[in-house]
Amino acid sequence: MTGALAAMAAGAGLRPEPGPPAELRARCDGPTFHAAVGRLAQTGILADLFATTRPDQPARLTAVLHTAHDPRWLVVETELAGRDFPSLTPTVHAASWYEREIQEMHGLEAEGHPAPAPLRLHDWPADRPPMGARPTPPGAVPHVPRWEAPPTVEGQGVFQLPLGPVRSGPQESARFLFSSGGEDLVAVTPRLGYKFRAVERMAEGLPADRALLLAERVAGTSAFANALAFARAAERALGLAVAPQAERARTALAELERLRHHTHALGRLAEATGLGVAAAQYALLTEESLRLAAELTGHRYLRGSLVLGGCRAGLDGPAWGRLGQRATAWARRASRIRSILDATATFRDRLDTTAILEPAAAAAHHLVGPVARASGLDRDCRRDHPFAAYAAVAFPVPTAGTGDAAARATILLDEMDQALAILDQLAAGAVPPAPWDPGRGRGAALGWAEAPAGEALHALELDLDGRVVRWRARPPAVVNWHPFAQACASGNNLTDYPVIEASFALAPAEFDR
Amino acid sequence: MSRWIALGLATGVRTTRFPDPAGVGDDGAPSAVACRWRALTPEVALAAADTCPTRAITATGSATRGRLCLDVGACIACGRCVSRFPEAFSWAADPRVAVRARDRLTLDVRWGPGQPPTPAEPTELAEQVRRRGRSLFRRSLHIRHVDAGSCNGCEAELQMLTTPYVDLSRLGLFFTPTPRHADVLLVTGVVTRNMEAALRSTYEAMPGPKLVVASGACAVEGGCFAGGPMTQGPLDRLLPVDVYVPGCPPTPQAVLHGLLLAIDRAAEHLDLVGAADGP
Repeated sequence: MTGALAAMAAGAGLRPEPGPPAELRARCDGPTFHAAVGRLAQTGILADLFATTRPDQPARLTAVLHTAHDPRWLVVETELAGRDFPSLTPTVHAASWYEREIQEMHGLEAEGHPAPAPLRLHDWPADRPPMGARPTPPGAVPHVPRWEAPPTVEGQGVFQLPLGPVRSGPQESARFLFSSGGEDLVAVTPRLGYKFRAVERMAEGLPADRALLLAERVAGTSAFANALAFARAAERALGLAVAPQAERARTALAELERLRHHTHALGRLAEATGLGVAAAQYALLTEESLRLAAELTGHRYLRGSLVLGGCRAGLDGPAWGRLGQRATAWARRASRIRSILDATATFRDRLDTTAILEPAAAAAHHLVGPVARASGLDRDCRRDHPFAAYAAVAFPVPTAGTGDAAARATILLDEMDQALAILDQLAAGAVPPAPWDPGRGRGAALGWAEAPAGEALHALELDLDGRVVRWRARPPAVVNWHPFAQACASGNNLTDYPVIEASFALAPAEFDR
Repeated sequence: MSRWIALGLATGVRTTRFPDPAGVGDDGAPSAVACRWRALTPEVALAAADTCPTRAITATGSATRGRLCLDVGACIACGRCVSRFPEAFSWAADPRVAVRARDRLTLDVRWGPGQPPTPAEPTELAEQVRRRGRSLFRRSLHIRHVDAGSCNGCEAELQMLTTPYVDLSRLGLFFTPTPRHADVLLVTGVVTRNMEAALRSTYEAMPGPKLVVASGACAVEGGCFAGGPMTQGPLDRLLPVDVYVPGCPPTPQAVLHGLLLAIDRAAEHLDLVGAADGP
């Protein structure tokens, strides 16, 4: 089936050339790009769409696509003659937020975009896009309000309730505007971008191994996965191979991060449903996995444990032994908590049919991660695009079809078990037989990893000195925030909101970058 | 319900004894880098400055005369100096790294002809520290947290403060949803352009007297994002800061120490000059 992607590309009028291993790269003119990407996104998956604008060069659009049963990625590029291009959004819904980002960040125009308001910029002047060809000159940038209030729901008894950006507890900054009629949650409009730090722009000009530190700081809760995706992009761009033992350690750390993320998300869910003991139990597991991470790597969030071409945290025999022991002990505790959760009617009652994201909607948004799997999309880039040591371990990819908060919780619980089982296999000695072929290093490559919240896809271009020319980070939250409002408006109560938010487990930091 | 109660009881008490010295450091991770200045050579000092990605280590001069400055506030704990120059840099194991004056996070080492690297004594700071140490709050404290543009690592750690391991409330400390009830503003993140207004209005909505704690490398000095196009911070450029907590992110115990320091229930423990004698 490995020819599926090439055949699809040829059918759409593209002539892809082999790129770095597991990548097909095609260049074409604007009309072909529009037609081919529009067509491929109907049967395949649009994993990313972004622009590159550099001084004295035409603006460039890049689409990354893939399809089930083919481990390769298709990278399609086109150079724009001017500042505008026809919008894909009318035919490909998943392109909508990508195109809005391209417009605000690069100053290009997606002609015919039905809702082109900025996503991450609040009061930045339109004439000097922050990711544009020229760097932002030093000095004060004037405040020009650009936020367009979204259409609100009006009617008898409907009121608007803003929440954020400063939230009630120690939480991330984001704003949500609720439209509510009494108890009914009629609409929720998220406003993001409060935490926009221009991570990708700040990496430009840095050597890849320094930019790696920024990749670790896209989001603290997925620091390792984003750093791993970035490191893999850099290694593939430079032609660096990674030793099998380092891949084994990387895989273990990625699973430790997933475990910590999922126990934390389940703890939030238990809190939202008023289950104090369950919340405390998951908090204990979270803290213990943070401490194990610190024990193994010196950092609770696994920062500094990756280096290009390897893993600084070289886990030795005793470390693997401890990891295996903990995984076994945690699995026993996790299954006990789960069995009580399953028997707790109030928990099931709050989650069942809450914030339903229909499989069709999930498919139309080309979603990733646990949220996608809870809506019946069978995709996981650890299995579909193997990396690190994932080909050497066996793991099922859980899916559920109902797309409600209960389905998302089930996926989180299943994936906790799965992470623990993978840790067990790695501790028992599972290791890839040979390094992945990094290719000969063409200066540009993709890197990917399955972050706790879904596929993280990074595209990297380096110059001859190994410095970053363009880095595009597409963490999972960029994709999964898109349908959040739609899921909220599926007939829920105002009091369901904490459950909804906890079940999606989306990080504003990952989106805002 | 009875099964939950049984599970809770069977688990027992897991809470750390911190700030009791018996619990210090049981959250597992080092919080700051220490410079063993006695083992420092000019060559290592200059090379270490090149290694540091955030200007937490800066060095000028030559082998015969020069100066190294270690700024723990700017350190993002990447560990590159520790792994490349283990003879001169190490991790400080004590999580009690919060300080009241920004300068207390810096170590200034100079060398000259015939003079090995020697740290400058922090002199005029003592008075400043004493003056700011007389806190109006001694007992219970309500905390308003604002994420002013973090990577969410800081929030993940703050959320651990209310869990059984740390259990902030046993010390009379509480997070409050409203700035009107807050005594202390706990700020994480670089202060992005889009969060500046919300941060200022939260501060203004708090009744006086009030304290401000800058938590994490981003709030203290900008971390990786210092000088970025969207970075308005560090925090003390915008608001008067009473306590600085370095770390990327600061561990729960480091944040807790910062809060207790703000209300005079803990003392400063960071000693960058004395750290040279450590393990």
